[in-house]
Amino acid sequence: MKKLALLLLVVLLGLLPLFVGKYTLYMTIHIMLLSLFSLGFNLLLGYTGLLSFGQAGFFAVGAYACAKILLAAPSLLLGILGGVAVAGVISLLLGLLSIRHTRIYFSMLTLCFGMMIFSLAWKWRDMTGGDDGLVGIPRAPLEVPGLFRINMTPMENYYYVVLVFTILAVYLFYRIVHSPLGLTLQGIRDSETRAACVGISVRNYRLISFTIAGLYAGLAGALLPPLESTVTPPVAHWSHSAEPVLATLLGGIYTFAGPIVGAALFYILKDIIVRFTEYWLICLGVIVLVLVMGFRGGVVSMFYGKGGQR
Amino acid sequence: METLAFQGLVGLSVAMYLWLLAAGLTIVFGVLGVLNFAHGSLFMLGAYFAFTFYGLWGINFWLAIALSLLAVGVVGYLMERLFLRHIYHLDHAYQLLLTFGFILIFDDAVKMVWGGVAKIPAMPSFFEGTFSVFGRLFPFYNAFIIGSGLLVAVVLWLLFEKTWWGRMVRASASDREMASAIGVNIPTLFTGVFVLGAMLAALGGALGTPVRVVAPGIGAAMIIQAFIITVIGGLGNLKGAFVGAVIVGLLSAYGILLFPVFELFLIFVTMAVVLIVRPKGLFGG
Amino acid sequence: MKPIIRTEDLGKYFGEMAAVHAVNLNVQQGLFTSVIGPNGAGKTTLINLLSGYLLPDTGRIFFRDTEITRWEPHRRVKIGISRSFQVMNIFPRMTVFQNILLAVLSRLNKNSNPFSSLKSQKAAVEEAEKILNEVWLWKEKDHPASQISHGDQRLLELGIAVATDPQLCFLDEPSSGMNPIERIKVLELVKKLAAERKTTFVIVEHDMDVVFSLSDRIVVMNRGKILAEGKPDEIRGNQEVRDIYLGEEI
Repeated sequence: MKKLALLLLVVLLGLLPLFVGKYTLYMTIHIMLLSLFSLGFNLLLGYTGLLSFGQAGFFAVGAYACAKILLAAPSLLLGILGGVAVAGVISLLLGLLSIRHTRIYFSMLTLCFGMMIFSLAWKWRDMTGGDDGLVGIPRAPLEVPGLFRINMTPMENYYYVVLVFTILAVYLFYRIVHSPLGLTLQGIRDSETRAACVGISVRNYRLISFTIAGLYAGLAGALLPPLESTVTPPVAHWSHSAEPVLATLLGGIYTFAGPIVGAALFYILKDIIVRFTEYWLICLGVIVLVLVMGFRGGVVSMFYGKGGQR
Repeated sequence: METLAFQGLVGLSVAMYLWLLAAGLTIVFGVLGVLNFAHGSLFMLGAYFAFTFYGLWGINFWLAIALSLLAVGVVGYLMERLFLRHIYHLDHAYQLLLTFGFILIFDDAVKMVWGGVAKIPAMPSFFEGTFSVFGRLFPFYNAFIIGSGLLVAVVLWLLFEKTWWGRMVRASASDREMASAIGVNIPTLFTGVFVLGAMLAALGGALGTPVRVVAPGIGAAMIIQAFIITVIGGLGNLKGAFVGAVIVGLLSAYGILLFPVFELFLIFVTMAVVLIVRPKGLFGG
Repeated sequence: MKPIIRTEDLGKYFGEMAAVHAVNLNVQQGLFTSVIGPNGAGKTTLINLLSGYLLPDTGRIFFRDTEITRWEPHRRVKIGISRSFQVMNIFPRMTVFQNILLAVLSRLNKNSNPFSSLKSQKAAVEEAEKILNEVWLWKEKDHPASQISHGDQRLLELGIAVATDPQLCFLDEPSSGMNPIERIKVLELVKKLAAERKTTFVIVEHDMDVVFSLSDRIVVMNRGKILAEGKPDEIRGNQEVRDIYLGEEI
């Protein structure tokens, strides 16, 4: 039954360009990017028990790296894969610094490192274009030399590229969380002590989780420049890090599809809210408050353990 | 040489704002076990309130500061009583998300109430002017700030070491159950500590209004600074907060002099180095 | 016979207080050993030091010939030590089966595998099912661990402890917090595991019937030090030991 619904969804997404306009397509791409971004975030939170407020940093690394590659060598695949790779390396390095601490300290460090990347993006004019950012990024053709070359100028074409990457990444995520690695991460989430006492190196696995989350953030980021043709510092700002947090809270932390559903909800919500007010952050904040205060303990307990107890 | 010494003084005055900010954060964490992500927003609110009372309504400078502390104290009281109190016993992630939500709210709230443009009010007349030190002219106000910061350090030390309330707080920090068992009213104490922390942050913000920009977004910038200080100094440690603030203040002053544009990055790098070499901070553990 | 675990002058201090002091312990392989003593004697601290949960201030610990004094808990598990906790430590959101499976996967060094499905880990699945039966939890297989009864959670805790197939297993007050019926079941399981597995068990217990009927050796602690050790009859006859229990039937 579930498989049928999934198939229908994929078919629907595949046929989308045939019956919607450019704006909807553009929004759908953004929803897919946020889905990938949020999936990675939730590997950390829902599956490993770590709350990161700095994932936008890795999104930005993926975006800027892809942009720099595309500006130098216009090959879409190179840009995207390059962006992901650089984001992975940076998340590994920052992970090494962040993961060896208590979970509160970890969360604090993620906010700091995310903003560190923001400050670099903003100040390092020579590399990142400073607060003007990088502009004129080409929507390079998808090509494998000698095999094929597909023009990306029409948005529909780029939409399909993003769709394929998203489907592959979601499938990969599915395999990961249902694998022994996925079970290990959940064990660490449920009881760090117990995990250590069955022989698991908690530190190593947290690092693996953090790096995978960074790769997903990097993928979401790398898919951005060809769409927008510019990359500016706000993609690294903590307010951008708030988006996967909110999307995952909205969609559900302890489900596989929660972040994806949440991403869609997030965009729908944002679309509605900005029609009434420019004060979008305050609405976000109130929603967070309601979700946190509304779910503490009680029947629908948002966090694990005996009703979320420490 | 004299330039370096002078810049050191500049750094010291910046450090005092940071000390006021970090002191509150670290006290609240040490006693309540809560890392208040919105602590920087309380600093920002202190600045905005002081700007309104002193800059817009022309109230006497000292009174304006006091009123700002009061106003932010009320905000802190409401935050703790209505929200935080109910989630102490839950997984830490709740408090982090809650206080993160508060950053979002406060950031837009100040835009709504005060508009998005930065404010710079005038200096109170009795602080105007400069005096000569290390061959350059140092503003009286900055000297006042350094003095205030040191005064607060002494007051806090006396509070926690010599008063009965301070001893109760320290007892509750190290063993909550024991303190409760000997009759300490933990909930009330916690509210009191949280309000103290909020007022310290507000003091930092309020004292800064004559010389620093008051703008939305400084709340988030300040909390990052506060976090960096606690990494360097040690979380939950008041002495560490002071030393950490001084280090960050000096780094930013010397950074502007020696590595302009990247002075903020220099501070982040220092944080990273401390994380590698002394993961629990200089006074932590 | 060589001891499976031994300590030299082990000490742990909290400020002025010595939780554990000058402990020279020898546990022989294959001999069911109980650690008893009044509350605050340092029994749990000793287990914590031996399992790596706490680091000692003085002294050394040897597992067979290897010094493990400052080894982290997960490393000690890998060389064959495991434990259960006095305060229940299971994986609450995972199912009972997954709780055991994770421990088995760890033993087989398969838990970093990111792609194959759990179902395809046939060896691990079979072993986990066997252990599930061994600890009488087959019925609860697919229930989240937080939702089974308190007594069953304790059985699960024991199951996790033996799932890593340890050579040495510490059980810290396995029957604490249990009602009389649950206690019997838990202690029956301990008896069964001790009889059927090649593991050397070291148990901290207050139930003297269990201690004296199961143990090959008893270690008595008082105020952080080892007061006496020996065979159950020797301990029963030891005047100092009787004194600290002040007339209780032992």
